[in-house]
Amino acid sequence: MIADKKLSSKGGGWLLERPEQIFTPEDFDDTTRMIQETVRQFVEKEYRPVAEALEHGELEHNIPLLRKAGELGLLGVEVGEEYGGLDLPKTVSTVIAEALAGTGGFSVTYGVQTSIGLLPLVYWGTKEQKDKYLAKLVSGELIAAYCLTEPQSGSDAMGAKTRAELSADGKYYILNGTKMWISNAGFAHLFTVFAKTPEGLTAFLIERDTPGLRLGGEEKKMGIKASSTRQVFLEDVKVPVENVLGELGKGHKIAFNVLNVGRYKLGAGAIGGAKGALALSAKYAQERVAFGKPIAQFGLIQQKLAEMATRIFAGESAVYRTMGMIDQALSSLDKANAAEAVLAGIEEYAVEASIIKVLGSEVLDYVVDEGVQIHGGYGYSAEYEIERAYRDSRINRIFEGTNEINRLLIPGMLLRRAMKGELPLFDAAMKLQKELLEPSFEEPEDKEMAQLEGLKKLALAVLGLAALKYGKQIEEEQEVLAVAADILIDVFAAESALLRARRLGGGVYAEMAALYLYQALDRAQAAALSILPRLAEGDDMRLMASAARRLTKHDPTDLVALRRRIAQKVLEAGGYPQPKA
Amino acid sequence: MKFVAVIRQVPDGESRLKIEGGKVDLGGVTMILDQMDEWAVEEVIRLQEKHGGESVVVALGPERFEEAIRTALAMGIDRAIHLVAEGYLDPITQAEALAKVIRAEAPTLVFTGGQQADWDSQALGPALAEALAWPVVSWTTQIELEGETHAKAKHDLDEGAEVVRVALPAVFTSQQGLNEPRYPTLPGIMKAKRKELKKVPVSASSKVEILEQTIQEKSRLNKMIDGKDPVAAAHELVRLLHEEAKVI
Repeated sequence: MIADKKLSSKGGGWLLERPEQIFTPEDFDDTTRMIQETVRQFVEKEYRPVAEALEHGELEHNIPLLRKAGELGLLGVEVGEEYGGLDLPKTVSTVIAEALAGTGGFSVTYGVQTSIGLLPLVYWGTKEQKDKYLAKLVSGELIAAYCLTEPQSGSDAMGAKTRAELSADGKYYILNGTKMWISNAGFAHLFTVFAKTPEGLTAFLIERDTPGLRLGGEEKKMGIKASSTRQVFLEDVKVPVENVLGELGKGHKIAFNVLNVGRYKLGAGAIGGAKGALALSAKYAQERVAFGKPIAQFGLIQQKLAEMATRIFAGESAVYRTMGMIDQALSSLDKANAAEAVLAGIEEYAVEASIIKVLGSEVLDYVVDEGVQIHGGYGYSAEYEIERAYRDSRINRIFEGTNEINRLLIPGMLLRRAMKGELPLFDAAMKLQKELLEPSFEEPEDKEMAQLEGLKKLALAVLGLAALKYGKQIEEEQEVLAVAADILIDVFAAESALLRARRLGGGVYAEMAALYLYQALDRAQAAALSILPRLAEGDDMRLMASAARRLTKHDPTDLVALRRRIAQKVLEAGGYPQPKA
Repeated sequence: MKFVAVIRQVPDGESRLKIEGGKVDLGGVTMILDQMDEWAVEEVIRLQEKHGGESVVVALGPERFEEAIRTALAMGIDRAIHLVAEGYLDPITQAEALAKVIRAEAPTLVFTGGQQADWDSQALGPALAEALAWPVVSWTTQIELEGETHAKAKHDLDEGAEVVRVALPAVFTSQQGLNEPRYPTLPGIMKAKRKELKKVPVSASSKVEILEQTIQEKSRLNKMIDGKDPVAAAHELVRLLHEEAKVI
């Protein structure tokens, strides 16, 4: 399907070929902008009045909020029209995730309903299953939960202990086991439960009032308190065989594919949250007076504001670049066997989805942390919104695959594609080896693009060396894989920021892209040098180390002046200086 | 029956305006459907929902107005007429151009915002009524049709309110409290793309020319009250608010 595409638009292809243009938020069409505005109104008019109550444990407010979202059409963005949905581009679903970010726990309720809640049914449900449940999930009449994690199995989902046994008459499966950290559990009507059958992991649709399904109490969480999170106990739960979702033993396909979708939305949501936290911080810094002037005038505050905005810009650019790639791939699909094709299209960009997940959640954690710092003592008080943002942020590095798991997946998936011959990574690595032995000392015309190329080469070199040395055992070298992942994440983010800034005609965007790239080069050099001695020895190692320095070379820049200029724009905009279309 | 809403696109009240070369620079500003016009749109949709017939939105302004027009269509208006004119036109000139189109539409009534947020002017509704030679009810907070010939409406006065019966067709302008406007649903947004939006170029010359614009700026007093003695501080705050700020 993707074979005839340009390398740069294939998943991971950007590592070998730079695209001429990328999709950016400035490319949103009117429909997307209007939907963004509708979500903004939803947040102001429906969520805001109950926000406090939700935070203080009145979780039942989630139910009318979801219904209202259903009335507005917000639950059916990725569902076909025959079930009351709108079947809109994936970009729209990320725009919504971003716009809902400020709602903290409710954004989790919404995300569970629209992603892991109803998408398994959309992609794997039989006609009968869809007829029975889908339209009601789209309207918000039914609420969904997704039960994969167990007390003893999180990231290793395949280690699930919940069992499903076929009844003697062959009409039912009998389920036994415990599910943990189940979002929406408190008010869900339909649970997608994963359990082991002799064929392997299998998904089941279980209705709330099925005898034997019992809920634990609400978990006492650090953040996202507005969301419901409970254990789900299954004791001899009889599930009719027609409620098996997808094929027996193919539950892992559902679990992993749905996670891909969740990851890019999480990245988008995190960027939305970061914008909100930056706005709070910029406002506070302008109002808070110390030593006779607003603290926004102090260098160390400006430095923080500039860093926050820069990382948001890079993260946002990476998120929507990916969405552009996915929607481009999906737009050319034959609708006849849509579900399979859509999943393959999304799977194609699983590397990017993992990158965005890690990048977005870490940008957000950085931004809320500095946000609290800018607020000083007040930031530590629950009276101030930044305190909740700080607590709500933390889960993002844990769910939808921990950032550690995702870091392993990024180079892991790239290497697997290279081995399958889908991505000519090894050819490129061989060519690179020659090039590293005979370096060119010509001054490039476009320094920034050359630096990006350098970063890509460094990532390739690390991956190539590691693959050569460890072969299949590379999975055991998690620290090495994580270094490769970090460089790859930075390359993708820096390139996205740079390509976007150039389309925006420079200004503060070019400055943010330059700042991000500068720091990416520093980080990559340090990271590469930290693991090269493990990958090579003696002269080989020294040769690689000097190549790493050369590939990340850059002239020192006055970062103080650069950050102050960026901070000025943040203060003028009262937060993230969102580019105008 | 046919109900017309006349709308404008204006800067979002929360945007920060800048002056460049003696003119307001709208470069970095978010433009929205004027809030008072939004009430007009909502009322027109409600009238149509109750009495049937057709709803039409009419706007006079530059190309960028299309966004606000789409919002009205997404809220539920049936079709739109956009009189395209770049640059500033005074309310009287605008009313004359709008009246031509509206007369041809022959609506049951016209609703528009009580005030136009961008000029801080209340002229458009009355000027439109004048140009149409129709009666006007300004600052409407309640309206009820009595058949096709009359409407009963409640509207605000400086100190109080008044209930009137007015012969139709008439022009009504909106006031806070008229309704709580809906916002577009996603299906509404999708449908709006297929609705008719007729563009009519307008060449009119303004009777008023804007020579220079400035923004009123007032710096904060930054008055700090010593809080060591909370009771004394509260007394001092009350005194300042009462005697100096004169707000309590």
